[in-house]
Amino acid sequence: MMARGLGGFVLAFAALAALAVWREDLGLPIFYLVLASTALFWIAQATSWNVLSGYSGYFSFGQGAFVGVGAYTTAVLGGRHGVDFYLTVPVAAVFSALLALLVGGLAFRLRSFRGEIFALLTLAVPFILAALARVNSEIDGGQGVVVPVAEYPEWLAQFQDFLYLLNLVVAVAAVAAAFAIQHTRFGWALASIRDAEDVAEGLGVATFRYKMLAIAVTGLIGGAAGSLFALQIGFVTVESVFGLTIPLFVIVMSVLGGRAHWLGPVLGAVVIVLIQDRLSASGFEGWNLIVLGAILAVLVVVAPDGLQARLWRRPWQAAVALVAVTGVLAIVDGWGGPLDWFVAGVLAAVAVVLWPGKAPAPAERRPAPSAAVPVPTDVDRGEAAESSGHSGPQLRPNSTIDGEVGEVLVECRDVTRYFGGVRALDGVSLQIRAGELVGLVGPNGSGKTTLVNLLSGALRPTSGSIAVAGRDIVGLAPHRIAHVGVSRTHQIPKPFESMTVRDNVAMAIMFGRSARPLAAAREEAQACLDVVHLRHLADAKPAEINLHERQLLEMARAIATKPKVLLLDEALAGLNPAEIDAAVAVVRRIHATGITIVIVEHLLRVVNQLATRVVVLNQGALLADGDPRTVMNDPDVIRAYLGRHAHARGT
Amino acid sequence: MTTLQAALSGALVGGMFAVMAAGLSLTWGMLRVINLAHFGLILVGAYLTFELATSWGIDPILTIVLTVPLMFLVGAGLQWAFDRLGVEEFASLLVSFGLLIIVMQTVSNVWSADFQRMDGDVNPYATESVSIGRFVFPAPTLIAFVFAVVIVVAADQVLRRTFAGRALRAFAEDRTVASAFGIDHRRLGMVLAGLSAASAAVAGMLFALGNAVTPSTPFEWIGMVFAVVILGGIGQVGGVLLAGVLVGTLSAVVSATWSPALSPLVLFSAIILALLFRPYGLLTPAARGAR
Repeated sequence: MMARGLGGFVLAFAALAALAVWREDLGLPIFYLVLASTALFWIAQATSWNVLSGYSGYFSFGQGAFVGVGAYTTAVLGGRHGVDFYLTVPVAAVFSALLALLVGGLAFRLRSFRGEIFALLTLAVPFILAALARVNSEIDGGQGVVVPVAEYPEWLAQFQDFLYLLNLVVAVAAVAAAFAIQHTRFGWALASIRDAEDVAEGLGVATFRYKMLAIAVTGLIGGAAGSLFALQIGFVTVESVFGLTIPLFVIVMSVLGGRAHWLGPVLGAVVIVLIQDRLSASGFEGWNLIVLGAILAVLVVVAPDGLQARLWRRPWQAAVALVAVTGVLAIVDGWGGPLDWFVAGVLAAVAVVLWPGKAPAPAERRPAPSAAVPVPTDVDRGEAAESSGHSGPQLRPNSTIDGEVGEVLVECRDVTRYFGGVRALDGVSLQIRAGELVGLVGPNGSGKTTLVNLLSGALRPTSGSIAVAGRDIVGLAPHRIAHVGVSRTHQIPKPFESMTVRDNVAMAIMFGRSARPLAAAREEAQACLDVVHLRHLADAKPAEINLHERQLLEMARAIATKPKVLLLDEALAGLNPAEIDAAVAVVRRIHATGITIVIVEHLLRVVNQLATRVVVLNQGALLADGDPRTVMNDPDVIRAYLGRHAHARGT
Repeated sequence: MTTLQAALSGALVGGMFAVMAAGLSLTWGMLRVINLAHFGLILVGAYLTFELATSWGIDPILTIVLTVPLMFLVGAGLQWAFDRLGVEEFASLLVSFGLLIIVMQTVSNVWSADFQRMDGDVNPYATESVSIGRFVFPAPTLIAFVFAVVIVVAADQVLRRTFAGRALRAFAEDRTVASAFGIDHRRLGMVLAGLSAASAAVAGMLFALGNAVTPSTPFEWIGMVFAVVILGGIGQVGGVLLAGVLVGTLSAVVSATWSPALSPLVLFSAIILALLFRPYGLLTPAARGAR
C-alpha cells in the first residue's frame, strides 16, 4: 500500500515535471503553468495545514506565521546577506518548524486546552510576528524586503517554468508526507486525538508527542512553501504574509476538500484556485473573497466532511458531470474559452458530489439482525446463570480467583485530592493485590470517580503517593501509566467515532505496551472482541451500535492494552437487567484471564456477585474495606448509604 | 508625566474595546457561539455612522437610533439561523469567519478600500477635548468610556436581577436542565444575540467618532478584543470592562515608552500568558474554572 502509493507520487511528479521541461515542445501556453504553480503552492499550504488541523482536529488560524517565517527567511538571507536561494529553503523550513514547536510547546502543555482556545492562540501568533518584523529593521523595519531572482538552470525556458518546478517539488513532497502520515501509526494517533484525545492518551497514545510532531511537519512544509512564495512575489511585506488571507484560503480549501484524507486539501486547493482564477479573469475580482467566505460558511453547515469522502461514493456521476458539462460547452462554443468550460465542468462535478443525498442508513452497514444477536454458547449460559445468582454449581460468589490473591499491585498511600477548597479525597490508603476483583462503592460525591481518575493519571493527587506494580505513577502522563499497566473505561463511552469497532480496539493494541503494526493489531483485536461478544459488529461504526454495545466496546478497548489492573467506572450504568447480566458475565470472563479489576458500581447486587473484596468511600475517606458480606453488614456503611434512621430501624 | 497621560488615555480607549468585547463575550459564554462576524457588524456600524452623518447630516452619536434596531434584527436573525442549522461552538467559529470575510469584502466593494473619516463639520466631537488638571482627554474616547460603563453596568444588572438574565445564566450553566425548567432558550438566545449585535452598532459608532476606518480595520480589533474577552472571562460582562481598561492601558503605555509597533507584541504575549495561566479569566482562579 505504502510503497505503491509513494511510487504513484514519483510517477505524478515525473509527469507534471515533464510539462515544464518540454513545455515549448508541447505548445502549452505559459499561462497554464502559472495557474498550475499557484495551485501547487496552495496544495502545499493546505496540506501543511491539514496535517495538524485536519488530522488531529486542532484548527489553526496561524498558517500565515509559517508562510511568513519562510518568506522572510529567504528574503532576508537572500536579499540582505547574499545567501544562495537553494540554501535558504531548508533554513526557512527549519526556522518555521522551530516556531511551530515553540507554539505547540506552549499550547499543548495544558491538558485541558480546548480547541477553540488553540484556534484563538494561533490567531495571535502572526500578529506578534508582524509586530516583530515591523520593529526590527534587520528583518523588515516596515519597508518590505526585495527578494533577488534566483538563478535557474538553462534547460528551462523561463523563470515561471522554474517556479513551477520548485512548487511542484514542495507540493509533491508535502502530499506524499501527508499520505505517509495517514497510513502509518502517526496518522492513527492523530485520528484518535481528533476523535477523543483523553481516551487516546489513556490507552497509551503519547498525544503530546504526536501533536508536536504534527505541528512540526506543518511548520516544515509551510516554511518551505513560504520560501518559494517569497521568490514568487519578489517583494515581501508584512501584509503579504501575516494577514488572514492565507489562513482563510487553507481553511476553505481543506474544509471543501475534506480534512480526514490526504487527498482532501489537494482537491479543495485545485477547485478554489480554479474558481478564483476564473472570477478574476471575468472581472469579478471584488467577489473573490465573498465567494470564498460563502463557500466556507455554507460548507461547514451542509457538508462538513468535504468533497473527498463523498467523491468516493459517487465517482462515476462526478466524472460524467465533468465530461458532459465541459464537452457540451466546448461543442456549443458560445461562451468563454477552454479553461472556462473546464472550470464549469469541475463546478458541475462538485455540485453532483456535494448534492445532499440519502446517506447510507446505519442498518445497511450493520449485519443482518439474526447475526446481530450473539448466539450464547454453553459457557455463556452457565456464566449468565451464575451471574444472576440463582442456580448452578458455581453459585458461590467470587469462586474463580478466591485464594489465589497475589502480590500488591496497586498501593495508594495517604492520597488526597482537593478541588479548590473541596476535599474530594482525603488521606485514602489502599492496597489492591493481583487477582482481586475490588468493588469500589459509596454514595454520590464520595470520591470514587476521583480515585479512578487519580489511578489512571487523568488527575494528579494533591498529596500522597500511588504505585502500580512497584512503580510510582504520580506525575506520569496517562499514556505512560497505561504502559505501566492501568487501563480504564469511561462512564459515558467515548469511542473513536471515525473508526470501526475493530479499529477502535486495534488502536489500543497498536499503542499498547509493546507496539504492534496495524495488521497484527487488527488480528489481535478479534480476540478482544470475542471476550465481550462484539465480533459480529467488528465492521460497524460506533454511531451504529447501542449503549450496551458501546460499553462493551469500552471494555474490549481497555483489555486490549493488556492491563495489569482494569478500572471499570460505572460500566453498567443505564443498562437493562438482561444487559447487566450479560455485562457481569463479561467482567467475569475478563477477570478469569488474570486481569485485576476495580469496579465502580452503584448496584450492590452486582458488586456482591462479582467482588472478592469491597471498598467503601464516604465523603472522600475510606469507610470500610473487606469481604463483601462483612462490609455490607457494617452499620457505618448502612448508615452512609441509607441514612441514620434506616439503620436504626434495621437493627 | 507623558506615561501617566498615555496610561489614562489608554484606559479610556480600553472602554471602546470593552464595548466591542461585551457582546462577543456574552454570546460565547451564554450561547456557545464564537461569533467572528461580530467584528463585521462593528465594521458595518462604523460605516453606517459615517454614511448617515456624511450624507444625511445626522449627528454621529444619534445615528445609533437607526443602526441599533437594524443591527438588533441582523443579530437575532443570525442566531435564529445558527440555532435552526444546529451550528455548534466550533462550527460557529468557522461559519462566522466566512461571514466576516463576506462582510469585509462587501464593505470594500461599497465604500472602496480607502480610509473613510467623517469631516469636522459633521463630526464636532472629533476635535474636541476635555482637560482635567494637567491631563487632556479627546472627547471621542471619553464618550466611548461613558458608553462602556453604561452598557456593561446595564448588562450586568440585567443578567443578575431580571428573570430573563437569570434564565440565561441558568441556560449557560446547564442547557438540558434549564430547558426542562421551561426556559425558552430559542427566544432568549435571539434576544441576547440581537442585543449583542446592537452593542456592535454602538461600538462601530464609537470607533467612527474618533478614527478613520477601512474595510480591513477589523484585523486590528480581533486580537485586542479577544484579549479583552479572554482576560475578562468568557461570558463575564463585568470582567470585560476591567480587562478592557487593563489592555488599553498596557497597550498605550508600551506605545508611549517603547514603540507603537511593539504594543501588539506585548499584548499578544499577555494573552498567551493569560491563556496558559488564567484560561477562565482574571477574576476566576484556574482551579475553580476547571471544575
